[in-house]
Amino acid sequence: MDLALLTSTYATVFLAELGDKTQLAIVTISGTSPRPLAVFLGSSLALVLASLLGAAAGGSLSTVIPTNSLQLAASLGFLIIGIRLIVRSGPIKGSGEPTDL
Amino acid sequence: MSDVPDPKAPPNPEPGSGPDPNSAPEPGSSPGQPDETAADNKAGSWGAALLTTFTTVFLAELGDKTQLAALLLAAQSGRPAIVFVGASLALISSSLVGVLLGRWLAKVLPPQQLERLAGLLMVGLGLWLGRQAVLNLAPLPDGLPLG
Repeated sequence: MDLALLTSTYATVFLAELGDKTQLAIVTISGTSPRPLAVFLGSSLALVLASLLGAAAGGSLSTVIPTNSLQLAASLGFLIIGIRLIVRSGPIKGSGEPTDL
Repeated sequence: MSDVPDPKAPPNPEPGSGPDPNSAPEPGSSPGQPDETAADNKAGSWGAALLTTFTTVFLAELGDKTQLAALLLAAQSGRPAIVFVGASLALISSSLVGVLLGRWLAKVLPPQQLERLAGLLMVGLGLWLGRQAVLNLAPLPDGLPLG
């Protein structure tokens, strides 16, 4: 095992992922779901599979998978989950609600 | 020592493969959560949570900058297996951080407020992801100050 390559990959990917939209999504799902273990397993599997695809494709992932169309589908999923959460949280009371989106 | 498996070993060695309330003293789980007892009729929602998270995160992660970093490292080094292991460990760590952060927020914030904040965040992420995808699918002509 090339330990230097392993640790540099680890550090690069971990730092790139901190505060990323994917992690924000995980925070959101985990905060609103009573099943943290399922959320952890699901997100880990998804991330590992995505990185496996990335490593296997070696630079030409967009020729294998229509990434943009899939991301468009993902954005629709995000919108649906978000709107459902907002609706579930009930009517907005008071006026101190941050609505700067 | 032989390689023969111990016949007296329990048939279910994997932790978490069965909802056994007696042998699950997980250090991280908070005691006194009532949904541990109702694990049977909530098995569907466990799978649903797993599937939802998987789909959301997988789709969001495709074409992400982390993937680009992994691709770059794999291409540069010529040793994709090591890059894969390193990237996987990093991604698992970061998803653990995300889950722990979410649980912490769920403890300190009232659920209604958290749900609204989470919903706003999700809508924001969705709009941003969608804008990115649409811009990649149909690039704007040069000169527009939107890129």
